[in-house]
Amino acid sequence: MSSIMDAFAVIFSFSGLACLIAGTVVGVVVGALPGLGPSIGITLLIPFTYNMPPELSMLLLVALYMAAEYGGSVSAILLSTPGTAAAAATAIDGYAMTRKGEANQALAVSLNASCVGGLVGAFALLVLAKPLASVALEFGPAAYFSVGLFGLTSVASLSSGSLVKGLIAGAFGLAIATIGIDPISGVPRFTFGVPELFEGIPFLTALIGLFAVSEAFSLAEGGKTETHSMAPKVRFALLSMTQWRKLGSTIASGSIIGTLLGILPGVGGNIACWVSYDFSRRRSKTPDEFGKGAPEGVAAPESANNATVGGAMIPLMALGVPGSPTTAVLVGALILHGLRPGPELFASEPVLVNTVLWGLAMTSVALFFVGSMLLPVWGWVLRLSNSVIAVGIGCMAMLGAFALRNLMFDVYMTIAFGILGYILKKFKIPMAPIILSMVLGYLIETNYRTALVTSHGDYAIFVTSPLSLLFLVLSAISLLLPVWGKIKSRRQATTNQSA
Amino acid sequence: MSSKLSKMLSTAVFGAVLGTAALAHAADFPEHRVNLVVWAGAGGALDTYGRELSKLLDEQAGWETKVVNRPGGSGSVGMSYVLNQPADGYNILVHTSTLTFSIARNLMPYKLDDLRFVRAMQGEPSALAVRKDAKLNSAKDFVDAMKKDPKGLRVGGYGTGGFHQYMLYQFMRAEDFEAGWIPFDASGKVALGLMGDHLDAAMMTPSSGLSQVESGDIRLLGISTDERSSYFPDVPTFKEQGIDLDGMVWRGVSVKAGTPDDVVASIQAALDKVQASDEWKTFMQQQKQEDLAIKDGDFRDMAQKQLDTQSAFLKEAGFN
Repeated sequence: MSSIMDAFAVIFSFSGLACLIAGTVVGVVVGALPGLGPSIGITLLIPFTYNMPPELSMLLLVALYMAAEYGGSVSAILLSTPGTAAAAATAIDGYAMTRKGEANQALAVSLNASCVGGLVGAFALLVLAKPLASVALEFGPAAYFSVGLFGLTSVASLSSGSLVKGLIAGAFGLAIATIGIDPISGVPRFTFGVPELFEGIPFLTALIGLFAVSEAFSLAEGGKTETHSMAPKVRFALLSMTQWRKLGSTIASGSIIGTLLGILPGVGGNIACWVSYDFSRRRSKTPDEFGKGAPEGVAAPESANNATVGGAMIPLMALGVPGSPTTAVLVGALILHGLRPGPELFASEPVLVNTVLWGLAMTSVALFFVGSMLLPVWGWVLRLSNSVIAVGIGCMAMLGAFALRNLMFDVYMTIAFGILGYILKKFKIPMAPIILSMVLGYLIETNYRTALVTSHGDYAIFVTSPLSLLFLVLSAISLLLPVWGKIKSRRQATTNQSA
Repeated sequence: MSSKLSKMLSTAVFGAVLGTAALAHAADFPEHRVNLVVWAGAGGALDTYGRELSKLLDEQAGWETKVVNRPGGSGSVGMSYVLNQPADGYNILVHTSTLTFSIARNLMPYKLDDLRFVRAMQGEPSALAVRKDAKLNSAKDFVDAMKKDPKGLRVGGYGTGGFHQYMLYQFMRAEDFEAGWIPFDASGKVALGLMGDHLDAAMMTPSSGLSQVESGDIRLLGISTDERSSYFPDVPTFKEQGIDLDGMVWRGVSVKAGTPDDVVASIQAALDKVQASDEWKTFMQQQKQEDLAIKDGDFRDMAQKQLDTQSAFLKEAGFN
């Protein structure tokens, strides 16, 4: 108990609060800038933490991690430019709301959902770290494959209208995911001998190109996005009771989905945001509103991606194994302070562990205040003219693409994806399924093949592993449900006619 | 094309500015900031080593250094960056023994001679790991089990065509047995695979599942060090068990070939200060790394030897 009190003494000391707030502010900013994101943000801050006590430096870094997951939504909502991959789903309805002149509401929904999601994830970490870590262990290659397949079924709901166009986009994304050195046999595929392609096309590069650069083109062209100049007032942050009643269950389910998917190494926010979006669309009474500026479409992915922060920390703190790029960087930071994450850290450094655990929860609270104070700043962005915004997005996109791996190659690739995205827009092919299947393609392929290597080619492994079977059944249900709904409504129509 | 052009241009410009400065006062190396070009992304073991090295070069040798991550292309991206800079020592490549695998697999369009090997500083062995409740008690037990039923145990580890698979291959040759290989795409996932009963035996660096190794949830049946590792005194080496198997991954630094001798000497002197410091020793102990100081020609010879044997392995295993 005393170590918790000591941890609170650290968090609520002057320097503790300073770290919390500084980390939050920097986090929101790096999150909002496409290409930077939490892992690069933490890498940039690590040198400043060399001479800080480990408790304070971890407080700073986890605050940044949490805030960056929220920051990604700011540019997604205002500029259709997701700052982080986990904010890609937010761009769909968030930007649609901005075009309707509801940017302030979208930002408020995102902030509230992010804070609640962050708190839920953090408390899951606090209370359930050890039991939940064993859940992560149960997932073998077959189960990961089925989880990926389940995620892929949400392509249908991202297709906004034409399922065929959605499937084309999804297939294209899967094709892109095959580029790079084959993870199982080690042979380069579709790399054309270009070393920059050995690790595949980074999906942030595709994301920035498809969403941001293509939007810059559209803006420069002066297309249908003129409502930008409406300069809506960005003022309030706390949602009203009516809004809570409307969005509460979406935020709650998003937080739970985010926490659970965050625990699985290699899954995390990039996938959780889509699964949560899909889930809330399916159980919505007005699914047709999604994609046209539904607040639920912002609340669902935003609560989920912040909840993955706590979830992703669970295997790290309980098992000492990082499950996401950002937690891997956090391990690096801990090691530089002479600490190694894992169960023994709970015994040897209880104050540090409690500072990280409670600090994560406190960050969600700090994020609410910092985020609220920053809202007017985002309002200024909207008052800029379309041409200025187009140039701004272009510059941010180029910088972000370069920052990812310090490669000019990535900048060219981003521009290529921008041109592609622009063309896809003209043909009304949705871009979200491309990103989703790029993210899932790798997960599905490696785990499918690893599972078969493990079973010596026996396909039974996918149904004999209970978790895998569960997610296969869920995938089937999720595919058949819309079909069944259609049959039912058709039957109803005929009975109505005959009656 | 334009990337090549811009690289050539920037090389020419920077070469003119930095190169002349460095040549004029090589004895006072370094005169300005030195880049440590880590050829992997942030967060991994190589990055952690690079960042500690950066910190200690600043503190112990009075340098001003900056870590630059250039991941990609099995090391080619970082290496090509360094090779496109002037040979003045201001861009130090922080790399691993993946170098020889990448060259042997033709994934990297470079030769060993493109680098001036400076120093291998960290070494990490491979170990045969099993779950706590496994019936195997020694490396020999494992060999017997595999001989009886090559498909009876699920064997795997981190990476495809990399160090740990290479060690398993050497192991198979030394003891004449057959085993499959289940590749994992992150070292940490190997420990999780063992713990979650998705894998029966793994070849892995002990540190990638250190919490589990220390708690006893994962047992090590043999380790590929020459003599017993001080970090794992209870784990017998393969050699002790009569199995001809040893080897380590290394992490170290190199510069572009053609870097002047006195600059390399300055770097060596700075690294001496780093390795003599208490901070370095503590870091190595916490990280459970073997402290190596294999310099210049010895370092290059080691790399050459590894390249030769790994080429043979990759060819036989069907990678080339």
